[in-house]
Amino acid sequence: MSDRSQLISTGEPFQFDSERDAEFERLVKRYPTRESMILPSLWLIQEQEGWVSQEAMAYVADRIGTFATKIYEAATFYTMYHLHPMGENHICVCRTLSCWLRGKQDIVDYLKDEIGIKPGQISEDGKFSLEEVECLGHCGTAPVVQVNGEFHEEMDVDKLKSLLATLK
Amino acid sequence: MEVKILSAKFDIEDAHKIEVAKQHGAYSTLDKVFSMQPEEVIEEVKKSGLRGRGGAGFPAGVKWGFLPKDTGKPVYLAVNSDESEPATFKDRYILVKDPHMMIEGIIICSYAIRSHETFIYIRGEYTSQVKALQAAVDEAYEAGYLGDKVDGHDFKLDVTVHRGAGAYVCGEETALLESVEGKKGQPRSKPPFPAVEGLYGCPTIINNVQSIASLPFILEKGADAYKAYGTEKSSGTHLFGISGHVEKPGMYELPLGVPLLEVIDKVAGGVWKGRKMKGVIPGGSSTPVLLPEEAKTVTLDYESMAEHKTMFGSGGIVVFDETVDIVELVKNLIDFYHHESCGQCTPCREGLGWMKKITAKILAGDGTLDDVNLLRELCDNIEMKTVCVLSAACTMPVRSYLDKFRHEFEAYVTTEGSSAEAK
Amino acid sequence: MAEKIKLFVNGVEVEVESGKNLIDAIGAVGIEIPHLCYHPALGADGNCRMCLVGLEEGGPPLVPACKTPAREGMKVLLDAEHIKKIQRDVLELGLINHPTDCPVCDQAGECSLQDYYMTYDLQESRMTVPQVAKNKKMDFGCGVVHDQERCIVCGRCVRFCRQITKTGELGIINRTDDTRVNIFPGRPLNNRYATNVVDLCPVGAMTSSDFRFKQRVWFLKKAPGICHGCAKGCNITIDHNREKDEDDIIYRFRPRLNEQVNGYFMCDEGRLSYSQENEGRLTEARLSKQARDLEDVIVAALTEIERAGKIVCILSPNCTLEQMVSVKALADKLGASLSGYSDGYVNAGDGDDYLIQDDKSANRAGLTILDIDCSKTTLENALSEADLLINFNNDLSRSFEDSALTQLLRETKVIAVSTHDTPMISSATVTIPVTSYSEYAGSVVNCDNILQNFGKAITKNSALEDIAAIAARLGSPLQTVSDRFTALQEIISALKDLEPDKIPVEGLNLNSEAANVTA
Repeated sequence: MSDRSQLISTGEPFQFDSERDAEFERLVKRYPTRESMILPSLWLIQEQEGWVSQEAMAYVADRIGTFATKIYEAATFYTMYHLHPMGENHICVCRTLSCWLRGKQDIVDYLKDEIGIKPGQISEDGKFSLEEVECLGHCGTAPVVQVNGEFHEEMDVDKLKSLLATLK
Repeated sequence: MEVKILSAKFDIEDAHKIEVAKQHGAYSTLDKVFSMQPEEVIEEVKKSGLRGRGGAGFPAGVKWGFLPKDTGKPVYLAVNSDESEPATFKDRYILVKDPHMMIEGIIICSYAIRSHETFIYIRGEYTSQVKALQAAVDEAYEAGYLGDKVDGHDFKLDVTVHRGAGAYVCGEETALLESVEGKKGQPRSKPPFPAVEGLYGCPTIINNVQSIASLPFILEKGADAYKAYGTEKSSGTHLFGISGHVEKPGMYELPLGVPLLEVIDKVAGGVWKGRKMKGVIPGGSSTPVLLPEEAKTVTLDYESMAEHKTMFGSGGIVVFDETVDIVELVKNLIDFYHHESCGQCTPCREGLGWMKKITAKILAGDGTLDDVNLLRELCDNIEMKTVCVLSAACTMPVRSYLDKFRHEFEAYVTTEGSSAEAK
Repeated sequence: MAEKIKLFVNGVEVEVESGKNLIDAIGAVGIEIPHLCYHPALGADGNCRMCLVGLEEGGPPLVPACKTPAREGMKVLLDAEHIKKIQRDVLELGLINHPTDCPVCDQAGECSLQDYYMTYDLQESRMTVPQVAKNKKMDFGCGVVHDQERCIVCGRCVRFCRQITKTGELGIINRTDDTRVNIFPGRPLNNRYATNVVDLCPVGAMTSSDFRFKQRVWFLKKAPGICHGCAKGCNITIDHNREKDEDDIIYRFRPRLNEQVNGYFMCDEGRLSYSQENEGRLTEARLSKQARDLEDVIVAALTEIERAGKIVCILSPNCTLEQMVSVKALADKLGASLSGYSDGYVNAGDGDDYLIQDDKSANRAGLTILDIDCSKTTLENALSEADLLINFNNDLSRSFEDSALTQLLRETKVIAVSTHDTPMISSATVTIPVTSYSEYAGSVVNCDNILQNFGKAITKNSALEDIAAIAARLGSPLQTVSDRFTALQEIISALKDLEPDKIPVEGLNLNSEAANVTA
């Protein structure tokens, strides 16, 4: 894990769109405390914007009625929340044990060469971002790649080529 | 060797849909369950010998018995679907292929422990699985299996799917509770245990998906039918995940107590590419490694694992072949546990980072024998000094590699060259 | 009194209070269990792992003392080799990413990490890999400066802001060894108690911009005192030092534990009020703006008193009971009217439901106990007929507009007995400098009717006397300290059977005795 404390400000006020607003109101009734809405709210922001800005965190803090630092804590603790904009296609390659044993490095190396970015980077055209992530729970079909949330199992370079072709 | 108890519906097309699942028996135990007293349900589960399938292996029925009586507070059930231990991927099959078996299990458990509110904590990475699970819960509500009158009985039950967001430690049951409460997933000091003071300060039972999903079979067929599988102390079946260097990796349901090497050879097709096995991790990456000769006498049950100074864990078996560089493997493991350290308590927060850097130094060829010794010593210094067992999940296996493959670490720090050349 | 229980520490039987955790229970009998994250005001968190102790027989063999209640018959192990090793190991882990920049760290000398290293560790560093880099010198607001690298993430500061002030400006973000304390961008510390996090911080991660780099703490002399910033009377430690050829200077106030008054904390305004003890002080006696020898000035004052027809005495609500009773006796003797009018010391609405009071004076309750008239009308009527006002340090500019004051005193000469060189005293005929509250001993009664006694902390180069002594010089019959205390004993029955030095350190609650106060 690297430092995630640097938040990005959009300079614009944030608010949920009507769909997320309704979803917030639906979900908040499911929990005995409003603070339980911290994780679901961060997901709603990420669904809406693709990432979580400083303004969005402040909005959620005020909407829930809690300290902004609590939102900040959760957003920086849970690594799936993107604290800056990602590529149009966000590629996660599992780096952990079983995927490592079954050749995840070939996948990462190929992506580095093909897209020209290292894990943690976004391509200049904004089309791709690459991340090496910890175990994705698909060890029996390793190595696994997750593109925009969708799993692609038993990956190899050939399969990756055809997958990339559908994304470009 | 394979059996189909939990996985009975896995091969049936669209069994995740409630109509199909019902055609194959889903929710059929409920009338029987509601005709029993909650205590009778608990007794039946105790009798079955079902042990928690999350990794610790604590008897499920006994755990339920820890709930204090008549506290005047609600009792919560939290279903742990955070499976994040490297090499563990069994619960995912239940969530996607037969979620109604789990929901039926939730109803049974809730009735037994007199709980009316369940939170299913699912790891954030399971994107499509979250949707599948939510769809199944929605179906169950529509069909009247959840809500104010479960299956027409005078029993109210609400189930909420709570999605994690990338934190292995939330599989630790009190970290999971913190996360549902909207906080960082930092484990709580125990006591108090969750059964007494859990979610929102109320009595709470936390069970793994597979444990919960085992309940319909136990209640339908009876404890004895369940105990017909497995061993005396490790009863029933388990969804084993086999990964790494085998010909046929995947998820297999097996009775407990079967020989490990036989499973690797006969079920998983043996070590891939005709190579030799260098080691096997028996129950997820946090369990101490076994050498092939040690593995010969191991059977897949809690007792045999303990006798061999390792653990049954989550049933995630990883085989690695002779080409694997152990120092690199250890680096991969430490990187994981360091990345997942919640940062709460000193030994784990600081110690795992130190271990990671020392291992990197050794791998880079800059290490000394002192570094190898320090790495080994740190395993002892960190372990069991922490709030939870995450640090032990790192130090236990790392110690086993250092003890069993010490020569490979030494090869990196001597002038003769690295183990990469030695192999 | 809490129930006593017996338990064993390292095999030796000790008697401790029940209902406490092991750190507090055993600590109360002088046996230290090292700890960094636990603080009695903030509860047990259990994250630092410094307080792990062994338990023989039953239960887990190793427990965090902060989370473990003392129980009858418990066998606690502290000095066993394996426990000492754990303390060394945990400290080593706490230190690997610590910058160990003690030579430039303000906390050096009062740093738990440093002290524990000396007591429990003393090993060479084995850290041969790069440390985690974090941010330094972060402005957290309210004069609090944070160093993330020195931070040991004990979370005391975070818990303070969440539990005590309920403002929640601080959080612990990230995870792993990248964990750090931070404010949310644009929402810095914004509460009136913020600087307490500097005291709470067991290491040098939180420093006060007011105190940073002013003094090494081992040069500071520590004296107990009572804050005079408001009517709460928070207990303080006055940290002061006299550098070679300089005056005795106060460098900071820190809160001092008094469960009955302020607990462990104090407000920032009170904390910073030490500067008023250093600055703007009146040190010379004057006759019509001309500096004179104090003896000459006293003679001049006595002459003015003799000449005067009608005299008004007024005193400050910050005066001690001893000073008040002395001035009162003086007024009685002179046939003067006496006022304690000081509405200007009250800032209505400024107080909160915690420590800060509307009333910015330390002993208004004393005025009531001594039955000193505080009404504005009485004072104005008296002044309109008077030709001499003896003002014992009452800053009238707080209660009157300048023009109103000029009007009020246009026919009246003033003898100003003052701690500070304020514009108001420039018009006085006679000016007598006196010591301020850090420089004398006395008693004050706070807003909750708790009488607190404090001693002299500071000895300034200019040898001044306090108001009670000056009142005596001007003719008060209460000539000595014991005269004054005896007079107070007549009025406050709770003091009847007490020697001045036997007033309990936590103060004397007068509420039960209130009915017995007779002026």
